[in-house]
Amino acid sequence: MPKFTIDGKEIEVAAGTTVIQAALAAGIHIPHFCWHPDLAVDGNCRMCLVEVEKMPKLQIACNTQVAEGMVVRTNSDKAAQAHRTTLEFLLVNHPIDCPVCDQAGECYLQDQYMDHGLHESNVEIEEKVRKRKVVDLGPIMLDAERCVLCSRCIRFEREVTATNSFEFSNRGNQMQIGTFQNQPIRHDYAGNLADVCPVGALLSHDFRFKMRVWFLKEHESVCPGCSTGCNIHVDERDGETQRLRPRRNVEVNKSWMCDPGRKLYKDIAVTTRISGARLKRPAGWEGVAVTAALDEVGSWIKGSGNTVAFVASPQATNEDLFAFKALADCVGGLLDFRVGDPQLKLHERIDGVLQRADRNPNTQGALDLGLGKDGVAEILKRCASGSVRALVLQGPELLRSPEAVDALAKVPFIAVFATHEGPELEHAHAVLPLSLWAEVEGTFTNYQRRVQRIRKAVSAPGDARPGWELASGLLQRAGGSLPAQSAREVFARLQATVPGYAGLDYKIIGSGGRALQTAEPAAVEARA
Amino acid sequence: MATVNVVRVERNTHPGIYPILLGLKITFMNMIRTLFMGQSATIQFPEQKRVSSGRYRGIHLLTAREDGTPKCVACYMCATACPAECIYIEAGERPEKSIEKYPTRFEIDLLRCVYCGFCVDACPEEAIMMSRENDLVGTTRAELIIDRDRLMERGKLAEYGPGYRPTDHDVRRPVRIAALERLKKEHGIVPGMPHR
Repeated sequence: MPKFTIDGKEIEVAAGTTVIQAALAAGIHIPHFCWHPDLAVDGNCRMCLVEVEKMPKLQIACNTQVAEGMVVRTNSDKAAQAHRTTLEFLLVNHPIDCPVCDQAGECYLQDQYMDHGLHESNVEIEEKVRKRKVVDLGPIMLDAERCVLCSRCIRFEREVTATNSFEFSNRGNQMQIGTFQNQPIRHDYAGNLADVCPVGALLSHDFRFKMRVWFLKEHESVCPGCSTGCNIHVDERDGETQRLRPRRNVEVNKSWMCDPGRKLYKDIAVTTRISGARLKRPAGWEGVAVTAALDEVGSWIKGSGNTVAFVASPQATNEDLFAFKALADCVGGLLDFRVGDPQLKLHERIDGVLQRADRNPNTQGALDLGLGKDGVAEILKRCASGSVRALVLQGPELLRSPEAVDALAKVPFIAVFATHEGPELEHAHAVLPLSLWAEVEGTFTNYQRRVQRIRKAVSAPGDARPGWELASGLLQRAGGSLPAQSAREVFARLQATVPGYAGLDYKIIGSGGRALQTAEPAAVEARA
Repeated sequence: MATVNVVRVERNTHPGIYPILLGLKITFMNMIRTLFMGQSATIQFPEQKRVSSGRYRGIHLLTAREDGTPKCVACYMCATACPAECIYIEAGERPEKSIEKYPTRFEIDLLRCVYCGFCVDACPEEAIMMSRENDLVGTTRAELIIDRDRLMERGKLAEYGPGYRPTDHDVRRPVRIAALERLKKEHGIVPGMPHR
């Protein structure tokens, strides 16, 4: 454990730590372009030069390992001057088209010019070397003029996706990045290229010209796209989600996120969202207040024992599942969630990077909470035999599955919690408006049994409510009670009853999540 | 007991008709000026309009390029600077690769606008400027939210002459000069190439 001094602060770090990592841990920002915490060190941008005592020349902080007794200065005259000259050099051929560049506001060049540069340019705009602009690479737009040749994209393609799409071509001031014959990026992780690019050379096609980033408010959350549970930021302006982007978590997704995950924000504010409850009458659908719909559903399930079946959804948060289970237990009905056996695919990977075959964020949570009880097949069998009077669904999965149609037709009353309109809702008799993941507080448990928080980023449309609120409303009408006013309080009850979650609360889970003790770690590893 | 000396001012308590005539003289002089010499303080609005300063901050206009397309590149600087949040922009793709971006929608809510001129100061392209026009009339609120095409048309008219456009007094410069001075004073850094 070498001890060293940086800007007068004495800190101790693990052996092998580089100066830039140690500085970051100590809260000192060393300017950089090519260094990325989740990519290999390249050391080509020369921006992170620091002064190390007893070394004749300045050293790059990203590739200098901390040694015992080292004295580093990041802000000495010599270092500051090096930052300025390097920055001026990088800006020589930069087109300075910040007004039309989507990176503006989160651009390393802008930030570092304001912090370290503030120089007058010695190169006129007309003298700059022109390169390719507005090259459409499928999900990514390339602008070679803005590039600082840091090679982050090249290393990302090499190390993370192993696709090697990008490479440098030409030399000297004609050097630029590009793909072979401008072929589009075809893998599922293209969005990360735009995130990884410190400047505006690679930009997202989806986010192009949509919004200036300084208007956006970020909210920490977790991607609901699959059982991996990538940590994300939900960027929103005035209640309208504009984009999702990865949030670094070394244990889960590092700094990456897949493109199908990034597209999930498009489901939030669509016209097909369900904003109010409705009941099926002989004359057709009738829109009613949520309380009236809950009364109706409550009258069907109250005291019905095992003639009622409950099907939970692995799309729901732990809080929703807990309240739903409390409801099922209170009524004494049948309960399960495994429509299409998601737990079999929980650890199965689609590719070698992040995506998993189970497209539900909380299958593990549903298993932990004991929702896999009676079996969906058994429930359907009883439905088909006509012994089920009422069916309460926490999501529309069962309505969508083709093998259930015949059995469901025999059930006199089906209530479903739903977020979006769909043809499958025609099979239901009561539809309750459900909030989507970006509109609620809650927790998901990912495939690693890591409990992670999602936070409310935008408001739910109309009367839509979180799943636990709907379930506890039904619980009240069925004669039970869940004394909780918020998701946090539901979780407090959850941790008191569910083994493995004991002692957790939202504060302990924090922004990075909290791993639970795995019952059989070896088995999980083998399946992963 | 101390003595208090009171100064007595002799007032003319019987001035006669003279002051009244003096007042009437001013009144009649103004009447003659207004009626016969055309030196009236009021004007025949709206037929007549008062001449205002070249820096008058009236209703905005969007300037055009030579080919008639908006000069604006939809950088949202004006919308960012706007304290009244009355500017709404939607950006789109422009066919020319050198410009890339232009506003497909550009709306100013003139009823919300406080005519501070910050949008003009913020614009890096001199795409938005102000006219000297100040008579804002409409029968509905929606009429007074003016869109891109109306803002451009007004640029052609410019009946009142251009208003606020900070060309020769670049407002960005003092900010930058202040930033440089602060850098030198607080950190002893003089930006630019190192001087030997």
